[in-house]
Amino acid sequence: MEPNVFLENFKKQFIDGDKLEIAMKTEFRQIESYDSLTGMTIIVMIKDEYNVDITDNEYKSQKSINDLFNLIQSKLKT
Amino acid sequence: MKAYINGISYYLPKSILDNVQLSNQFPEWSIDKISEKTGIYKRHISEDNEYSSDMGINVIEQFLIEYNVNKEEIDFLLFCTQSPDYLLPTTACLIQDKVGFKKTCGALDFNLGCSGYIYGLGLAKGLVETDQARNVLLVTSETYSKFIHKRDKSNRTIFGDAATATLITSEPKRNHYKFSIGNFAYGTDGSGYDKLIIKNSGVKHKCITSSDLLDEEGNFISNDDYIFMDGKEIFNFTAFEVPPLIERLLKVNGITLDDVSMHIFHQANEYMLNFIRKRCKIPEVRFFISLNDIGNTVSSTIPIALRRYLDNLKLEINHKILLAGFGVGLSLGGVIINLE
Repeated sequence: MEPNVFLENFKKQFIDGDKLEIAMKTEFRQIESYDSLTGMTIIVMIKDEYNVDITDNEYKSQKSINDLFNLIQSKLKT
Repeated sequence: MKAYINGISYYLPKSILDNVQLSNQFPEWSIDKISEKTGIYKRHISEDNEYSSDMGINVIEQFLIEYNVNKEEIDFLLFCTQSPDYLLPTTACLIQDKVGFKKTCGALDFNLGCSGYIYGLGLAKGLVETDQARNVLLVTSETYSKFIHKRDKSNRTIFGDAATATLITSEPKRNHYKFSIGNFAYGTDGSGYDKLIIKNSGVKHKCITSSDLLDEEGNFISNDDYIFMDGKEIFNFTAFEVPPLIERLLKVNGITLDDVSMHIFHQANEYMLNFIRKRCKIPEVRFFISLNDIGNTVSSTIPIALRRYLDNLKLEINHKILLAGFGVGLSLGGVIINLE
């Protein structure tokens, strides 16, 4: 699982994804175009691309893109 | 024997709820930003004393005039609603009498929401192709606005009221569409029954009334006397169940996605529609969206969108349209209709 690939997949879920300048350390809820619908598509993307289920509570406690990446990695190892 | 779609009419209540009104009621609600994403800017709302039967009668009378159909010809009425006038009797029976359909006409209600039009076409096709009826009128009529709590800004932003009428016949005469109804694919996941629900609406919780559930800041969350929708769960159901439905639908019709001229899905909201479109790998040019002035009208979204699509089209031979509905139940279904 490559951070750069994850970041690209993450950006694609935003309505303005092709213009977004974000990094793994970005706190994604602070991105202007982020809303609850974007959150839903991010969770679907994680299921599609990595076959990992993220619960609501797990998702809510992640702040940065890197936090989310680490959560997926930890779930892939178990 | 084949079944054909012979015209569609739709009715929208006069009252309009627009974004300015919603913004005045909910100043903290960034309605313009939300509308940009949902694609919904206006909704039609039924009057306080206007019920699904009234809207159904309105659209039927409009249909009979528009297509010059004699009401004596109708020998079956299918009425799709989740907001019937009464638990009993059947609203379709009231309509039969008020419109003046003959007494040998069959009539029934069926309770489905966003997938209802597809199931209605399936029932109508069955009645026609088994020679139980020659002219079936399928009517969808929904007044969700009466079930939405006035403080529920999310659902008030999305849903609108409407009614539609579609005639399904054994012969393609007199119509200007000449669409035969192809094969269907259906699906159900009743484990999600509580993801879109009015809990205190039937017999099970008949005598219970609820108070408002608020969050820590005093914002409305839910009240069991009104509609509750778990948007995330409905989104997930749609995201994971609609693509395989489309695959099954193409397979049972012996065609591929490239053979389909236009795809018309239940018009839930524009963001979700585009999301599903991409997951189903459908090109944007072959995907019809029309909801900005009416919102999500539940079982009426597909026939309204289909009528609007056909109104602006020069039809070609072998024009195939894929219709798909999904939502409350949780329920989904699809069908291919073919220009012959």
